[in-house]
Amino acid sequence: MADGKKIIEVEHLTRDYGGGRGVFDVSFQVAAGEVFGFLGPNGAGKTTTIRHLMGFLKAKEGGCRINGLDCFRDREKVQQMLGYLPGEISFFDDMTGIEFLDFVSGYRKDKGESRRKELMDMFDLNPHGKIKKMSKGMKQKVGIVAAFMHDPQILILDEPTSGLDPLMQNRFIELVEAEREKGKTILMSSHMFEEVERTCHRIGIIRAGKLVAMDQVEALREQYMTPYTVTLESEEMAKAFAKDFQGVCQGRSVTVSAKRSLEEVFMQYYGGEEHAE
Amino acid sequence: MLNKTLYCREMKRNVKLLVLFGMIISMYVYIIISMYDPKMMEMMDNFAKLMPELMAAMGMTTDTANLMAFMISYLYGFILLIFPMVFSILRGHGLVAAYVDKGSMASLLAAPVKRRTIILTQMAALISGIVILVVYSTVLEYACAGVLFPGELEGQKLLLLNAGLLCLQLFIGSVCFLASTIFSDSKYSIGFGAGIPALMYVIQMLANVGGAAEKAKYFSFFTLYAPDKIVNGESGGISGIVILLVGAVILYAASAVIFEKRDLAI
Repeated sequence: MADGKKIIEVEHLTRDYGGGRGVFDVSFQVAAGEVFGFLGPNGAGKTTTIRHLMGFLKAKEGGCRINGLDCFRDREKVQQMLGYLPGEISFFDDMTGIEFLDFVSGYRKDKGESRRKELMDMFDLNPHGKIKKMSKGMKQKVGIVAAFMHDPQILILDEPTSGLDPLMQNRFIELVEAEREKGKTILMSSHMFEEVERTCHRIGIIRAGKLVAMDQVEALREQYMTPYTVTLESEEMAKAFAKDFQGVCQGRSVTVSAKRSLEEVFMQYYGGEEHAE
Repeated sequence: MLNKTLYCREMKRNVKLLVLFGMIISMYVYIIISMYDPKMMEMMDNFAKLMPELMAAMGMTTDTANLMAFMISYLYGFILLIFPMVFSILRGHGLVAAYVDKGSMASLLAAPVKRRTIILTQMAALISGIVILVVYSTVLEYACAGVLFPGELEGQKLLLLNAGLLCLQLFIGSVCFLASTIFSDSKYSIGFGAGIPALMYVIQMLANVGGAAEKAKYFSFFTLYAPDKIVNGESGGISGIVILLVGAVILYAASAVIFEKRDLAI
């Protein structure tokens, strides 16, 4: 995976919106070929950080670079390499899905093979309706196609699976895994651990604008899963039990893992303070 | 400089409004020019003498001796000022602030397209719309006058008059556009973009009434566009429209600079 070269660099990024809102002294790096999960509750500062990376906002203090280029100053060069899925999808309502995708290709002046067809098939997207009339999930699919179709080297995905049904969430995870295999650098934000644990190498947890933890996903998963060992009366029962609960059977004892609730994991990082909205 | 795909999209969105306002302007221009009748002018003049304030407020002066003066009175006081202005207000807001407010600006920024290109393209779409409306009005006036009253209208004066109108409308457009680039909130974008031109127009109406209110004219940019002076070749006429044009250039340039530098929380 990571060959050491830092693709996304956020350094001491600070933006104070007042009232404790904003991001404060956030620093992290994402290496080439790495998938980074950016985890945090609503209003924690995920989107604000991403807006800085996208060059929508100018860093007040600190800064961020992509591939060595300043995200605000050199934004159009940075955008050349980027695919972006916004957290709150708002496309041109007056267009149909297909018109929008055509527009994006023309607007970006994309040449060469587009992966549009492949992606539309993958997500069962029927893009012929007006975007205005589309459901949240359908708009999300249009957004995913628009973000991936020009085959960018770097992807920034803000809560990518929101609005998708479980089947489509799985398809999306498969897509991210495939991109990961191709060596793409991906940053995806989420408020759900399940979403990031399967795909990400490393996870950063942000809370109330501050990065509170950054770890390999395995380390976090260990804290997230609690193993229990159960001893049963007979080996047959143990086998059946292990089968039902996906445990590991050893003679009469079965080790199963129980997931701790998301709140518990968050609480651990949030130090038991009130859930910041 | 410009993004062709974006320009085409915005021009397509212009079409509906242009057709609507084009139709309204066509109707008024045709009806008003066809109403020109030296005999009826006497009646209107009498009417104006009875209620000078009301007629003056609408920009209808008593001197309507020839077709040009008649048109200035009945077209350049209200119809040809208001409809292109409403176009500027609606599109000025729709081209920038509406996208920022709704978040769809993200789709435009998340691409290897310079912010300068985006803002210049949006500006070009607005200016194109205004130019189309004014040029269309000019052709229409010339055609209507030519068919209904051959030889009555001096083409050159009409061109000069409408060149002035174009400068005024470009200036109004630049005010709307600037408001649209400064504010991300539709409330303020529309508030200032529509509020300032509308307020200026109301002040102009007050000033037209005359008397003590006449001083109000110094507070309205509409005063800079004086059709009578332009047609009669008075000095204030041309300098007024030059000021409007320069003002428009400054405000459009300011919009571009602001849009390039500002934070966009989308």
